[in-house]
Amino acid sequence: MGFRSFLHRITAPHPSGPSPNGNCKMVFVVNHNLKMGKGKIAAQVGHGAVLATMKAGEKKPMYLEKWLASGQKKVCVKGTDAAHLLDLQTSAERGGILTTLVHDAGHTQIPSGSLTVLALGPHVDDILDEITGELKLL
Amino acid sequence: MPSTVEEPSMVLIARKDLKMSAGKLAVQCSHAAVTCTLSARKSHPRLVERWMNAGARKICLSSDDLETIQRLIGQAQAAGLVTTLVKDAGHTELPPGTVTVLGIGPSPRRSIDALVSDLKPY
Repeated sequence: MGFRSFLHRITAPHPSGPSPNGNCKMVFVVNHNLKMGKGKIAAQVGHGAVLATMKAGEKKPMYLEKWLASGQKKVCVKGTDAAHLLDLQTSAERGGILTTLVHDAGHTQIPSGSLTVLALGPHVDDILDEITGELKLL
Repeated sequence: MPSTVEEPSMVLIARKDLKMSAGKLAVQCSHAAVTCTLSARKSHPRLVERWMNAGARKICLSSDDLETIQRLIGQAQAAGLVTTLVKDAGHTELPPGTVTVLGIGPSPRRSIDALVSDLKPY
Protein backbone atom coordinates (compact mmCIF):
# COMPACT_ATOMS: atom_id res chain seq x y z
CA MET A 1 0.00 0.00 0.00
CA GLY A 2 3.01 2.31 0.13
CA PHE A 3 2.54 3.19 3.78
CA ARG A 4 6.21 2.74 4.53
CA SER A 5 7.31 5.25 1.95
CA PHE A 6 4.72 7.67 3.32
CA LEU A 7 6.03 7.15 6.81
CA HIS A 8 9.55 7.80 5.68
CA ARG A 9 8.46 11.13 4.24
CA ILE A 10 6.84 12.39 7.41
CA THR A 11 9.21 10.87 9.91
CA ALA A 12 12.57 11.06 8.15
CA PRO A 13 15.06 9.88 9.18
CA HIS A 14 13.86 6.34 9.72
CA PRO A 15 11.14 6.04 12.40
CA SER A 16 12.67 5.75 15.82
CA GLY A 17 11.78 6.16 19.46
CA PRO A 18 10.13 3.79 21.91
CA SER A 19 8.51 0.73 20.36
CA PRO A 20 5.00 -0.37 21.39
CA ASN A 21 4.88 -3.47 23.55
CA GLY A 22 1.80 -5.20 22.11
CA ASN A 23 -0.92 -4.62 19.52
CA CYS A 24 -2.07 -1.05 18.94
CA LYS A 25 -5.49 0.52 18.41
CA MET A 26 -7.20 3.90 18.31
CA VAL A 27 -10.20 4.56 20.54
CA PHE A 28 -12.77 7.27 19.80
CA VAL A 29 -14.91 8.56 22.64
CA VAL A 30 -18.01 10.20 21.14
CA ASN A 31 -19.85 12.94 23.05
CA HIS A 32 -23.24 11.26 23.42
CA ASN A 33 -24.81 14.35 24.96
CA LEU A 34 -24.85 16.09 21.56
CA LYS A 35 -27.27 13.57 19.99
CA MET A 36 -25.53 13.70 16.62
CA GLY A 37 -26.85 11.70 13.68
CA LYS A 38 -24.96 8.64 12.44
CA GLY A 39 -23.41 10.37 9.43
CA LYS A 40 -22.36 13.33 11.55
CA ILE A 41 -20.66 11.03 14.06
CA ALA A 42 -18.88 9.21 11.23
CA ALA A 43 -17.47 12.46 9.83
CA GLN A 44 -16.38 13.67 13.29
CA VAL A 45 -14.66 10.38 14.11
CA GLY A 46 -13.06 10.57 10.66
CA HIS A 47 -11.61 13.98 11.59
CA GLY A 48 -10.24 12.51 14.81
CA ALA A 49 -8.70 9.54 13.00
CA VAL A 50 -6.91 11.67 10.40
CA LEU A 51 -5.66 14.20 12.98
CA ALA A 52 -4.46 11.47 15.35
CA THR A 53 -2.67 9.74 12.48
CA MET A 54 -0.80 12.93 11.56
CA LYS A 55 0.07 13.63 15.18
CA ALA A 56 1.38 10.09 15.67
CA GLY A 57 3.53 10.47 12.54
CA GLU A 58 5.36 13.28 14.27
CA LYS A 59 5.36 12.15 17.88
CA LYS A 60 5.06 8.36 18.00
CA PRO A 61 6.09 7.02 14.58
CA MET A 62 6.75 3.50 15.84
CA TYR A 63 3.23 3.28 17.26
CA LEU A 64 1.78 4.59 14.01
CA GLU A 65 3.74 2.11 11.97
CA LYS A 66 2.65 -0.85 14.08
CA TRP A 67 -0.97 0.30 14.05
CA LEU A 68 -1.02 0.70 10.25
CA ALA A 69 0.76 -2.59 9.65
CA SER A 70 -1.78 -4.47 11.77
CA GLY A 71 -4.88 -3.14 9.99
CA GLN A 72 -5.41 0.18 11.82
CA LYS A 73 -7.81 -1.17 14.44
CA LYS A 74 -10.35 1.40 15.64
CA VAL A 75 -13.04 1.27 18.32
CA CYS A 76 -15.87 3.72 19.04
CA VAL A 77 -17.27 4.14 22.56
CA LYS A 78 -19.82 6.41 24.23
CA GLY A 79 -18.79 9.34 26.43
CA THR A 80 -21.37 11.10 28.61
CA ASP A 81 -20.59 14.73 27.81
CA ALA A 82 -17.77 17.21 27.11
CA ALA A 83 -16.57 17.17 30.74
CA HIS A 84 -16.31 13.37 30.62
CA LEU A 85 -14.22 13.53 27.43
CA LEU A 86 -11.86 16.08 29.02
CA ASP A 87 -11.47 13.93 32.16
CA LEU A 88 -10.56 10.94 30.00
CA GLN A 89 -8.08 13.09 28.08
CA THR A 90 -6.33 14.03 31.32
CA SER A 91 -6.05 10.39 32.42
CA ALA A 92 -4.82 9.32 28.98
CA GLU A 93 -2.13 11.99 28.84
CA ARG A 94 -0.94 10.97 32.27
CA GLY A 95 -0.52 7.46 30.82
CA GLY A 96 1.55 8.74 27.88
CA ILE A 97 -1.23 8.21 25.34
CA LEU A 98 -1.58 10.64 22.42
CA THR A 99 -4.87 12.54 22.60
CA THR A 100 -6.72 14.53 19.95
CA LEU A 101 -9.85 16.63 20.51
CA VAL A 102 -12.29 17.27 17.67
CA HIS A 103 -14.37 20.44 17.79
CA ASP A 104 -17.18 20.85 15.30
CA ALA A 105 -17.07 23.71 12.83
CA GLY A 106 -20.81 24.07 13.30
CA HIS A 107 -21.91 23.70 9.69
CA THR A 108 -24.71 21.29 10.62
CA GLN A 109 -26.74 19.86 13.50
CA ILE A 110 -24.92 21.27 16.57
CA PRO A 111 -23.54 24.59 17.90
CA SER A 112 -20.19 25.71 16.48
CA GLY A 113 -17.20 24.75 18.61
CA SER A 114 -18.86 21.78 20.37
CA LEU A 115 -16.45 19.10 21.54
CA THR A 116 -17.61 16.08 19.54
CA VAL A 117 -14.91 13.40 19.82
CA LEU A 118 -11.82 12.50 21.84
CA ALA A 119 -9.41 10.32 19.86
CA LEU A 120 -6.89 8.26 21.87
CA GLY A 121 -3.81 6.56 20.40
CA PRO A 122 -2.63 4.78 18.44
CA HIS A 123 -1.49 3.03 21.59
CA VAL A 124 -1.18 -0.42 23.13
CA ASP A 125 -4.55 -2.23 23.54
CA ASP A 126 -4.18 -3.05 27.24
CA ILE A 127 -3.09 0.45 28.24
CA LEU A 128 -6.02 2.04 26.40
CA ASP A 129 -8.39 -0.45 28.03
CA GLU A 130 -7.36 0.92 31.43
CA ILE A 131 -8.77 4.29 30.37
CA THR A 132 -11.81 3.35 28.25
CA GLY A 133 -12.40 -0.35 28.91
CA GLU A 134 -15.50 0.32 31.02
CA LEU A 135 -17.25 2.49 28.42
CA LYS A 136 -20.04 1.11 26.26
CA LEU A 137 -19.47 0.47 22.58
CA LEU A 138 -21.24 2.90 20.28
CA MET B 1 -8.61 33.05 -2.22
CA PRO B 2 -9.82 29.91 -3.97
CA SER B 3 -13.54 29.74 -4.53
CA THR B 4 -15.60 27.19 -2.59
CA VAL B 5 -15.82 24.81 -5.54
CA GLU B 6 -12.02 24.66 -5.79
CA GLU B 7 -11.50 23.89 -2.10
CA PRO B 8 -10.52 20.31 -1.40
CA SER B 9 -13.11 18.04 0.12
CA MET B 10 -13.52 14.37 1.02
CA VAL B 11 -16.62 12.21 0.81
CA LEU B 12 -17.18 8.95 2.64
CA ILE B 13 -19.90 6.98 0.87
CA ALA B 14 -21.34 4.28 3.10
CA ARG B 15 -23.75 1.46 2.29
CA LYS B 16 -27.05 2.14 3.98
CA ASP B 17 -28.38 -1.33 3.03
CA LEU B 18 -25.95 -2.93 5.52
CA LYS B 19 -27.68 -1.18 8.44
CA MET B 20 -24.44 -0.75 10.38
CA SER B 21 -24.52 0.55 13.96
CA ALA B 22 -23.33 4.13 14.55
CA GLY B 23 -19.98 2.93 15.91
CA LYS B 24 -19.42 0.48 13.08
CA LEU B 25 -20.24 3.13 10.50
CA ALA B 26 -17.86 5.63 12.14
CA VAL B 27 -15.01 3.11 12.26
CA GLN B 28 -15.46 2.06 8.62
CA CYS B 29 -15.60 5.69 7.47
CA SER B 30 -12.47 6.45 9.47
CA HIS B 31 -10.59 3.62 7.79
CA ALA B 32 -11.47 5.28 4.46
CA ALA B 33 -10.51 8.76 5.69
CA VAL B 34 -7.10 7.70 7.01
CA THR B 35 -6.21 5.53 4.01
CA CYS B 36 -7.31 8.22 1.51
CA THR B 37 -5.28 10.85 3.38
CA LEU B 38 -2.12 8.74 3.47
CA SER B 39 -2.47 7.85 -0.19
CA ALA B 40 -3.15 11.45 -1.25
CA ARG B 41 -0.19 12.69 0.74
CA LYS B 42 2.04 10.81 -1.63
CA SER B 43 0.33 11.79 -4.86
CA HIS B 44 -1.00 15.29 -4.02
CA PRO B 45 0.93 16.62 -0.99
CA ARG B 46 0.06 20.29 -1.49
CA LEU B 47 -3.62 19.55 -1.93
CA VAL B 48 -3.65 17.55 1.32
CA GLU B 49 -1.95 20.40 3.14
CA ARG B 50 -4.51 22.87 1.83
CA TRP B 51 -7.33 20.53 2.83
CA MET B 52 -5.97 20.05 6.36
CA ASN B 53 -5.42 23.79 6.83
CA ALA B 54 -9.00 24.52 5.79
CA GLY B 55 -10.48 22.12 8.35
CA ALA B 56 -10.23 18.84 6.42
CA ARG B 57 -13.83 18.91 5.18
CA LYS B 58 -15.48 15.48 5.27
CA ILE B 59 -19.01 14.47 4.46
CA CYS B 60 -20.67 11.12 5.00
CA LEU B 61 -23.08 10.18 2.20
CA SER B 62 -25.29 7.15 1.81
CA SER B 63 -25.39 4.61 -0.99
CA ASP B 64 -28.40 2.30 -1.38
CA ASP B 65 -26.35 -0.67 -2.54
CA LEU B 66 -23.00 -2.09 -3.61
CA GLU B 67 -23.64 -1.37 -7.30
CA THR B 68 -23.72 2.39 -6.70
CA ILE B 69 -20.34 2.21 -4.98
CA GLN B 70 -18.86 0.11 -7.78
CA ARG B 71 -20.09 2.59 -10.38
CA LEU B 72 -18.73 5.58 -8.42
CA ILE B 73 -15.29 4.11 -7.84
CA GLY B 74 -14.91 3.56 -11.58
CA GLN B 75 -15.96 7.13 -12.33
CA ALA B 76 -13.75 8.60 -9.61
CA GLN B 77 -10.70 6.69 -10.78
CA ALA B 78 -11.36 7.67 -14.38
CA ALA B 79 -11.42 11.30 -13.22
CA GLY B 80 -8.04 10.81 -11.50
CA LEU B 81 -9.37 11.22 -7.95
CA VAL B 82 -7.92 9.48 -4.89
CA THR B 83 -10.13 6.57 -3.83
CA THR B 84 -10.19 3.94 -1.08
CA LEU B 85 -12.55 0.99 -0.92
CA VAL B 86 -13.01 -0.34 2.61
CA LYS B 87 -13.76 -4.02 3.07
CA ASP B 88 -14.75 -5.20 6.49
CA ALA B 89 -12.45 -7.62 8.27
CA GLY B 90 -15.53 -9.43 9.55
CA HIS B 91 -14.79 -9.27 13.27
CA THR B 92 -18.28 -7.94 14.07
CA GLU B 93 -21.70 -7.52 12.48
CA LEU B 94 -20.77 -8.35 8.85
CA PRO B 95 -19.29 -11.26 6.86
CA PRO B 96 -15.54 -10.81 6.10
CA GLY B 97 -14.82 -8.97 2.86
CA THR B 98 -18.09 -7.00 2.77
CA VAL B 99 -17.57 -3.65 1.01
CA THR B 100 -18.73 -1.00 3.48
CA VAL B 101 -17.43 2.44 2.46
CA LEU B 102 -15.93 4.21 -0.54
CA GLY B 103 -13.74 7.20 0.28
CA ILE B 104 -13.03 9.82 -2.41
CA GLY B 105 -10.59 12.69 -1.93
CA PRO B 106 -9.24 14.95 -0.70
CA SER B 107 -9.88 16.34 -4.18
CA PRO B 108 -11.25 19.61 -5.55
CA ARG B 109 -14.83 19.91 -4.36
CA ARG B 110 -16.12 20.55 -7.87
CA SER B 111 -14.72 17.23 -9.14
CA ILE B 112 -16.30 15.32 -6.26
CA ASP B 113 -19.65 17.09 -6.48
CA ALA B 114 -19.87 16.18 -10.16
CA LEU B 115 -19.92 12.50 -9.17
CA VAL B 116 -21.97 12.41 -5.99
CA SER B 117 -24.51 15.23 -6.34
CA ASP B 118 -27.40 12.74 -6.39
CA LEU B 119 -26.43 11.03 -3.11
CA LYS B 120 -28.08 11.91 0.21
CA PRO B 121 -26.27 12.64 3.49
CA TYR B 122 -26.10 9.53 5.66
